[in-house]
Amino acid sequence: MAEQVRQRVARQFGRSLHIRTLDTGSCAVCEQEIRLLGAPHYDLHRLGFFFTPAPRHADLLMVTGPMIRAFDVAARKTYEAMPGPKLVVATGACALGGVYQADAFVHGTVDEILPVDVWIPGCPPSPLALLQGLLVAVDRLAEKVSGLTFTADGAER
Amino acid sequence: MPLWFARGLRRGIVTTRYPARPDSSAAGLPTPPAFRAGMLDHRLADLLVTVCPSRALYRDGDVLQFDVGRCTACGRCQEAAPGAVAPSGEFELAGTSRAAFVKQIPLAPEVGR
Amino acid sequence: MTTLQPRPGTAASLLSAIGGAAPREGDRVVTVPVPAAQLEAAVHHLAAAGARLADLFAADGDQVTLRLVWGLDSERQYLVTETPIDAPEYPPLSDIAPAAFTEECEIYEQFGVRPAGGKPLNRVALPPGAGPDFPRLGHQPQEAPEEVHAPHTVGGQAFEFPFGPVRQAGVESLYYGLVTSGEEIVDLYLFTWHKHRGLEWRLRGRRPAEAMFLAERTEGLSATAISWALAAAVESALGVQPPSGALLTRGIALELERLYNHAAAMAALCQSTGLSVGQAAAEIALERLLRLNAATFGHRYLFGVLDAGGVRRAPDQAALRDGLPGAYGELRRAADALLATNSFMDRLEATGIVTTEQARRLGLVGPVARAAGVPIDGRLDQPTAPYAAYPPALAVRDAGDVLARLRVMLDEAADSVRLIGDLLDAGPAGGTAALPAGGGSGLGWAESSRGEALAWVSLDADGRITRARLRPASVRNWRGFDDAARSQNVFTDIPIIEASFWLTVAGTAR
Repeated sequence: MAEQVRQRVARQFGRSLHIRTLDTGSCAVCEQEIRLLGAPHYDLHRLGFFFTPAPRHADLLMVTGPMIRAFDVAARKTYEAMPGPKLVVATGACALGGVYQADAFVHGTVDEILPVDVWIPGCPPSPLALLQGLLVAVDRLAEKVSGLTFTADGAER
Repeated sequence: MPLWFARGLRRGIVTTRYPARPDSSAAGLPTPPAFRAGMLDHRLADLLVTVCPSRALYRDGDVLQFDVGRCTACGRCQEAAPGAVAPSGEFELAGTSRAAFVKQIPLAPEVGR
Repeated sequence: MTTLQPRPGTAASLLSAIGGAAPREGDRVVTVPVPAAQLEAAVHHLAAAGARLADLFAADGDQVTLRLVWGLDSERQYLVTETPIDAPEYPPLSDIAPAAFTEECEIYEQFGVRPAGGKPLNRVALPPGAGPDFPRLGHQPQEAPEEVHAPHTVGGQAFEFPFGPVRQAGVESLYYGLVTSGEEIVDLYLFTWHKHRGLEWRLRGRRPAEAMFLAERTEGLSATAISWALAAAVESALGVQPPSGALLTRGIALELERLYNHAAAMAALCQSTGLSVGQAAAEIALERLLRLNAATFGHRYLFGVLDAGGVRRAPDQAALRDGLPGAYGELRRAADALLATNSFMDRLEATGIVTTEQARRLGLVGPVARAAGVPIDGRLDQPTAPYAAYPPALAVRDAGDVLARLRVMLDEAADSVRLIGDLLDAGPAGGTAALPAGGGSGLGWAESSRGEALAWVSLDADGRITRARLRPASVRNWRGFDDAARSQNVFTDIPIIEASFWLTVAGTAR
């Protein structure tokens, strides 16, 4: 079932994808890297990706920040305003549970509030890392991280 | 506007070819660490756990758990143990399963008692 | 040590007015205890003498201590007044110094003490519904703050609508309340509690080295400046002087930070006016500058460069000398083309005007203040190494509009390139001094690309932070944004004005 959904997603989103961004408490640097996706060096349009200000028009929600609790309602409303099928990409170390621990201010990780499809680590993830993440989200690149061991003893890298 | 058009043409194309071709600008960026497992004992692992500001490291018995998702590539673990920790050079790290980001680094067995 | 002769407008004259020991000559920061009963008179005295209110914050202890930080810019000193408050109210300071209003609201939320007079206070950091268990730096206030924004009428035809916090793609969340009579902006107010991460609360109990990691991320686009301010506060508290090579490195990093931020602001200005070609040209320059940062210091946004006591990294001098001319040339050519594009210039001129009087009254800092004719620059007014030996040129304009702010940023960018060259030639870079044991308190500062960033810290005998105050420039300057957006501006001007201020929500909400 999950595989069928993924294949459908790849067919539907593989050619053209509209991205909405959601800041749940970032330090503002992840946003700067995301803005640079439209810059000449990276040009996400050549890959069929576009930013949209309208949740109704969006296919993918790119979420930064540690999900500040005071932001929960706005986060859920943004997600629910997007028609299905839709994807959520948790972007940056804060969104993945790094930097801030869960406490009274923050959930610490985006998937406490939203269902996450793709995770992109980094502080901040560079525009290249963001492009890789978006391409993984639409199944145009295979993800690598599960095969990496992060050990260096002559073992596979 | 003709000014801008001419400028643009003269400037040429700076756009990356990624993913069709690798992009060398990635080489300058900080990346999460790779650990030389044979060089890490419990004591060193515990030190690394305390220096990590993002809670990416956790020792569970004879295994050092490394959560790549939480890593900010700040380099403090490398500074604390330069022989045992080096940059991995990996930046294509997006994944679909959160659990796949948590790596188990086997530690050197405790010697003597 | 000689005692200064009291002259009007100095710390000494304040001290002689309220009674106290004269400051030592050459003290960069003078701390004056002021009893609560004399606080109002002291604030009057300082405001009348032209002192600039740089910050107002409180700390908890046996009782709440109120601290006001004043910039005595023409005398190259900071004055910190310390006042224990053992009642729920203190004199209404923002009546005398309007710059203090946001901070008064913040202090009430965190510490439960408020200015006398019953003036309504705004919600600043704590979200609606924050109960008694919500983490605070002090004790809970008796009543929750209420919103101060009264309904507006313009011939009975103004209406008010909230906008945000989720906005267009790639910008931070920000919640505006917009009051309009149609097209014209009657009022504009901001809520930032949805981005409050509680940074100052998190720093308590930490050692300075750990605190630097979070301080950088207060406002990541000012990572160098804010971590410098905190490091300097710690160094002042412990009586440590970083090695000169470390200070040269800090200066290089701070000027690189200034350069890329000004390039990013220029790109945002182009985007806000719909000039895509200009935006693309500015973004090419910005990307080259970020890659230069990575080549020089190992991180595109200069994270991880500073340490308490010095620096963690030395610059790759060859990479910086090699890459800087080309990256700056890119920026300069884009800027020259923009300044020759009339359709662009027309959108900037006379837009978002901040008057000199507004800038002074609200205690604004940075290019926003300098473009409004206020000649303040922390690198000149409060020069510590390396700027004492390598001063920047002061970039000041009069018009106070968006165009003036852009011109100030461009002048500063050119000067930053010159400064980086001087600092590279000045001597070997890098180094760090060990922090001694013990505690103390101190004030630190750095001139970020947005303006003066301040930090104040107190350390206990174990060297752990008991109170860290972080005051990025964004905290000061968002007040000016409300004023700049009103009067003669229309909706489509708001993004232009916002780009020209180039602040962050993260830095204000912390």
